Amino acid sequence: MLWLPVVVLAAVFISSSVNASFYLPSLATSLHAMWTGLESGTLMADLWYSLGNLLAGLAIAIVVGVSIGLVIGERPLLRQATAPLLDFARATPTVAFIPVIIITLGIGSPPKIFLIFLGTLWPILLNTIAGVASISPAILETARSYRIPFRLRFLKVVLPGAAPLIFAGVRIALAVGVILMVVSEIYGSAIGLGSFILQSGSSFRVADTWGGTILIGIVGYVLSVLLVWGEYLTLGWYFQRAPKTGLRAEPRAQPSSPAKPASELSISQSKGTP
Amino acid sequence: MAVTTDLGAVPASTSSKGVKVGRGRTKMRLLQLLTFVVALMVWAIVTFTGLISPLALPSPIDVGKLFAIAVISPEYWLAVGQTLGGALIGLIIAAVVGIPLGLVTGTYSVAEKSSRLLVDMLRSFPVIAILPVFLLIIGSNDRMKITVVFIACVFPIFLQAQYGAQSVGSMVAETVRCYRIPRLLRFRKVILPAATPSIMTGVRLAATTAVLVAVGVEILTTLPGVGHQVLLDQINGNTPRAYVFILTAGLLGYAVNFLSELAEKRLLRWRPPVQS
Repeated sequence: MLWLPVVVLAAVFISSSVNASFYLPSLATSLHAMWTGLESGTLMADLWYSLGNLLAGLAIAIVVGVSIGLVIGERPLLRQATAPLLDFARATPTVAFIPVIIITLGIGSPPKIFLIFLGTLWPILLNTIAGVASISPAILETARSYRIPFRLRFLKVVLPGAAPLIFAGVRIALAVGVILMVVSEIYGSAIGLGSFILQSGSSFRVADTWGGTILIGIVGYVLSVLLVWGEYLTLGWYFQRAPKTGLRAEPRAQPSSPAKPASELSISQSKGTP
Repeated sequence: MAVTTDLGAVPASTSSKGVKVGRGRTKMRLLQLLTFVVALMVWAIVTFTGLISPLALPSPIDVGKLFAIAVISPEYWLAVGQTLGGALIGLIIAAVVGIPLGLVTGTYSVAEKSSRLLVDMLRSFPVIAILPVFLLIIGSNDRMKITVVFIACVFPIFLQAQYGAQSVGSMVAETVRCYRIPRLLRFRKVILPAATPSIMTGVRLAATTAVLVAVGVEILTTLPGVGHQVLLDQINGNTPRAYVFILTAGLLGYAVNFLSELAEKRLLRWRPPVQS
């Protein structure tokens, strides 16, 4: 069912070529700028730099977030006591800490990685807590009655049970991380995709700006596709797909069953229960 | 299976103390307050030991004092109003555009399949990365802030409306079709009420995102508002005051989320609890 994207792409291509203005260069020009940049290697180096920061920050956030989340999720008391605090922390814009971090930690990779870590920690942490909470109590009680040792219980019961929501959290964290990756390179960064876009923007190299923006879009999309793919492979037991036929959409199974891809779940959806 | 992250509710299965509902709730509130106090104390200890320079993390007492001063100053509320205004307008436009489109794609599977790829691609596009090009096209004014907020908010609302429309039971849908109920009436009386819980969840999600994005845009461009104040204070080296505004941004997002949850519970009292 690719007709709509193709039509839209063609329409944008044609209309931008016809109505090319200074600030809206034709799609062909932007793509050409992006391609030459990639070929010459400078844009590629920028891309690898930014991607490296992003993946490092995300990896640290996953490790820290999942471990703390598993611990907090285990104890209902701890979970409910820390809920407002964590909600408040999530609502605080990470972008606001950029000047602070730049001033104290300087420019270079570590402060950017730290910023990405700060921003991506919260969705992963909150979703891990929700994931542990969503494990059916029957499973936990069975594990307890069989006196399954602590470490084994974590690895084999709690972690796989929480995995769908954890993946959903990682997907949200990825989106946040890509934004922070761009934003962290605003002040005084010589290399990086975000700084490329911003410098092109301020020196009015409009085709380069658009080219870089399109590249970021592609990177973001590819990363999320890779994540969904990895989720599908890892969580094969979780997905059930019902066939769809005819004009009217077959309603998906009850919202509480896992027929919906887990990536579409989010912790805030779970709070919809009064 | 319902995910139980309900704020303040007594844990259903594990309470071995048998507390009455009223007292259990107060106990939970006290525990939550205690957590806040513990966090504050950790903050104070970290600043007093001087692990992190006061330029990066000012002491809570300084921030508290400046907060008290700021709350009574009109420019504080002006900044808050500017941020909230931009966020709210963007959110409303996103709802007006996203809800009908989502309902349509949720009802007709052809529409859903055609638009899925496009929506996926647009959704994973980092919103703030468009800022430089938008600065060039629209310029640095409120319209740009509202546009960016709109783009960030429209996708969650669209997707939630889509899920909601898909959750109309097949029996209801077929009955409606049997009676040949006209399309507009069908949307208004059957699909929209069925989709309302999902839409409310989407609006709640989008509201927090709207505040976050509005503050983010203000920091990155120099539009007036809470974010701009943060930047100004950082540049002037007045870090405690910057933290006052950072905390304000967090409080705004938290308050918006809280109010949306309240509104959701009020408006959806007629419905049995349905997840998403």
